Amino acid sequence: MDLLTALGFGERGWGPALLYGAVMTVLVSIAGLAIGAALGSLVAWAKLSGVRIAAAIGGGYAAIFRGLPELLVVYFVYFGSSATLTGLDHLLGGEGFLGVPGFAAGALAVGVISGSYQAEVFRGAFLAIAKGELEAARAVGMGRWLMFRRIIGPQVLRFALPGLGNLWQVALKDSSLISVTGLAELMRTSQVAAGSTHQPFTFYVAGGALYLAITSISDRVFEFAEARATRGMRREAH
Amino acid sequence: MPESESDSYALTVSGLHKRFGSLEVLKGVSLLAREGDVISILGSSGSGKSTLLRCINLLETPDEGVVTVAGETILMRKTRDGRSAPADRRQVDRIRSELGMVFQNFNLWSHMTILDNLIEAPIHVQKRPRAECVEEARALLDKVGIGDKANFYPTHLSGGQQQRAAIARALAMRPKVMLFDEPTSALDPELVGEVLRVMRSLADEGRTMLIVTHEMGFARDVSDRIIFLHQGLVEDEGPPAELFSNSKSERFRQFIANERT
Amino acid sequence: MDLAFIWTTFLRLIAALQVTLSVWALSVFFGAFIAAGVTWMRGSGIKPAEWIARAYIFVFRGAPLLVQLFVVYYGLSSFPLVRASVFWPFLRDAFNCATLSCALCTAAYQSEIFRGALAGVPHGQVEAARACGMSGFLLFRRVIFPIALRQALPAYSTEVISMVKATALVSLVTLWDVMSVALKIRNDTLVTYTPLLIAGAIYFVVNYLIARAFIFIEQWLSPHLRARSA
Repeated sequence: MDLLTALGFGERGWGPALLYGAVMTVLVSIAGLAIGAALGSLVAWAKLSGVRIAAAIGGGYAAIFRGLPELLVVYFVYFGSSATLTGLDHLLGGEGFLGVPGFAAGALAVGVISGSYQAEVFRGAFLAIAKGELEAARAVGMGRWLMFRRIIGPQVLRFALPGLGNLWQVALKDSSLISVTGLAELMRTSQVAAGSTHQPFTFYVAGGALYLAITSISDRVFEFAEARATRGMRREAH
Repeated sequence: MPESESDSYALTVSGLHKRFGSLEVLKGVSLLAREGDVISILGSSGSGKSTLLRCINLLETPDEGVVTVAGETILMRKTRDGRSAPADRRQVDRIRSELGMVFQNFNLWSHMTILDNLIEAPIHVQKRPRAECVEEARALLDKVGIGDKANFYPTHLSGGQQQRAAIARALAMRPKVMLFDEPTSALDPELVGEVLRVMRSLADEGRTMLIVTHEMGFARDVSDRIIFLHQGLVEDEGPPAELFSNSKSERFRQFIANERT
Repeated sequence: MDLAFIWTTFLRLIAALQVTLSVWALSVFFGAFIAAGVTWMRGSGIKPAEWIARAYIFVFRGAPLLVQLFVVYYGLSSFPLVRASVFWPFLRDAFNCATLSCALCTAAYQSEIFRGALAGVPHGQVEAARACGMSGFLLFRRVIFPIALRQALPAYSTEVISMVKATALVSLVTLWDVMSVALKIRNDTLVTYTPLLIAGAIYFVVNYLIARAFIFIEQWLSPHLRARSA
């Protein structure tokens, strides 16, 4: 099969499947990043709260997942959650094996890893907010929730954008490991196509190229977001 | 300038032009320094004083003009895109090793002790034996008053001490001419005095010094000559007594009036 | 709590650690040289070289390592031209392919670390060296490199540890590293958590030791940043 047919959109072409895989990759990465954001902000809050036990737990979680291979975490979450689900099912009287869908397990694995890094990004972003702004908010009588919503939240997001942009790229690449669960994301699709057509070079390079395309587009998006978010910021001479 | 005459000067600069993009910072500056001359270069910011100094040791490349150090003229050539460049890199390195430069921000090498800072260039550029360099370095550190700080790192020293170390580092090269680029401008006021004292003692020793400075009192008391730069040209020059009391330049009189306030 | 099982699993995984560490050490080591070359090309001022370096960094940092591994291991070997070439004896071995691919990948990251470190050398200190007559290799050797090295250490340690974690991927190209042995034990015994937990503990300890080693090196090289004890 020549190159154009193999990658194309014809009857025997793998074009649509690869694009579908790319979309799946983006979706599972977004889900992973979102889970990571939730975990990361929780840990950041724990570390900033000054409550020693909370900070220790948060710190422990971050340290553990930064010291483990991503592939190991994917396997652990996938097999582990499936085993847990199967166990629960057996408790309720079911039989056989119940597997957690690859998307859920994959997003959770990516999220748990990402969260350990996002914690530092959020913590640093919070510490970067000028103390004066917080004092001014307190001085006009803003309540804690209002202050968070209107002052802290938006500012943390602004300062965190560069770090988050970086972690997005990491999540994208980590998502390729979810292929071991069988989820039909980009890596897995390339693998299937390569095996089916016996043209591994073509399809792995094509998959790589699609990853690079997603990366490039993401770069632009983050550049745009950062430019907008830092409007009016840092005009003073440093 | 006839060859024999320029031989008797420690440093000659003639017709220096320097452009940064479309901005011409030096528009034809010349100066002569005899051995033992202490010349203070004054002027407001943007007048080109630092650029002048940096053109002498080629940290900036002059677009036009000739620099001669101890009778040796720095050879220049034109690059393919018409810009000026030194013709002989080794000559530049050699001449730089005969000039000692003291920077506004000291620029001591942060990963080396003070002593190592002093012996670095004498050993590796001038290829002098280590024992000799170390001995001379210790003597210089004593001379500038920080003999006990030889094994300290720059970050452990105050600004004044760092600058004195930087002066000692320049002296360790046994320079023919010393260039000072606003040596006290980055110092807290109470640390300025100790550095000026060292510079004064160097002047008294008979060293040839070119000093870009804002310290009017020092310039007036210590210099043999003052050069006043304004917008890239020499507005006035002469002995301090003359200039400070009787300058023909209105701008200079304005300048010292401003600096005094 | 089958202690005997835990112990045998542990021993088998430790035996496989050799493969993991070999791939890691060789790829980081050779990757550093490739990275030095790429960094030089990136800053050379020669337009084609700069372009190639930037493209290299973009590709090897942007694509997942798994894709890169598969392209080298499965992709290259599918070409008759490659199989007939002088490189084949080298490339037919999975260990070599995996190490090569990891080296190419880490080189892209290391190159960016080098570039950042060089850019972070205070310009004034370089000028002072030039003003003393230093230039070329002497200037690089005595001033630029020592300062850049110290600047690079934190980021470099992170990358080195990332590479330990990345080696787990070689389990997917038929190498018997810690990851693949752990999975085999799981497949054979159907015990899920124990082999994975022990493998995780091993990786964690290795990474911890490497991190401590770097902290030690950083402190040893930076007496100028610590408070003066005298």
